Amino acid sequence: MIAALLPVDHFLIMFVYALLASAFFALLWRESSRERWKLFATLMASLVLGGLAVAWLMYPFP
Amino acid sequence: MTAVAADARKNPAAPETRKNPVVAAALAWVFPGLGHWYLGRRRIAIPFAVIVTVTFLLGLSFEGRLYSVEAGQPLTILATFAVCGSGILNVVARMLIDSPGGTILSPTYEYGCAYLLTAGLMNLLLMLDAWDIATGRKR
Repeated sequence: MIAALLPVDHFLIMFVYALLASAFFALLWRESSRERWKLFATLMASLVLGGLAVAWLMYPFP
Repeated sequence: MTAVAADARKNPAAPETRKNPVVAAALAWVFPGLGHWYLGRRRIAIPFAVIVTVTFLLGLSFEGRLYSVEAGQPLTILATFAVCGSGILNVVARMLIDSPGGTILSPTYEYGCAYLLTAGLMNLLLMLDAWDIATGRKR
């Protein structure tokens, strides 16, 4: 299994998830190349930065 | 009047090239992107197939769970529906994998479940998209 070979890096797993989800919805919801790149960047930034923000807010809790 | 018939009245030339929406949705379920391939959207079908398949395989490699309905656990119905959305990927994985229930002690178990559920839901969205394209609701 790949998971056994790779280090368990939570950020990397989250980043790959954001990459796949952003690419999927950009292709599904937009037609032109320019609009797709714009939505991809927006979704990617929202997912990654949102994930980091939530992780930072949860840091004080056990 | 169905949506197909209404659209046909607006655009009489469309039905000649239109494909069967049931076949398109069914093919989209069988394998990601196959419905779009059938509809002639081959340039977009390949990235869809790659994205959904990679998401599903990563979910398996992270030792996520291929959900099945469990008595007394109503949420497993929704999870099973989502995972079954992956079509043939789900069927083949259940036949080949020793433990479709995943490895709950694995540190990546929750990630694997999220990836597997997402892959299934993505493919269900592709089914709806293929249906909309075939019926003329989406260009």
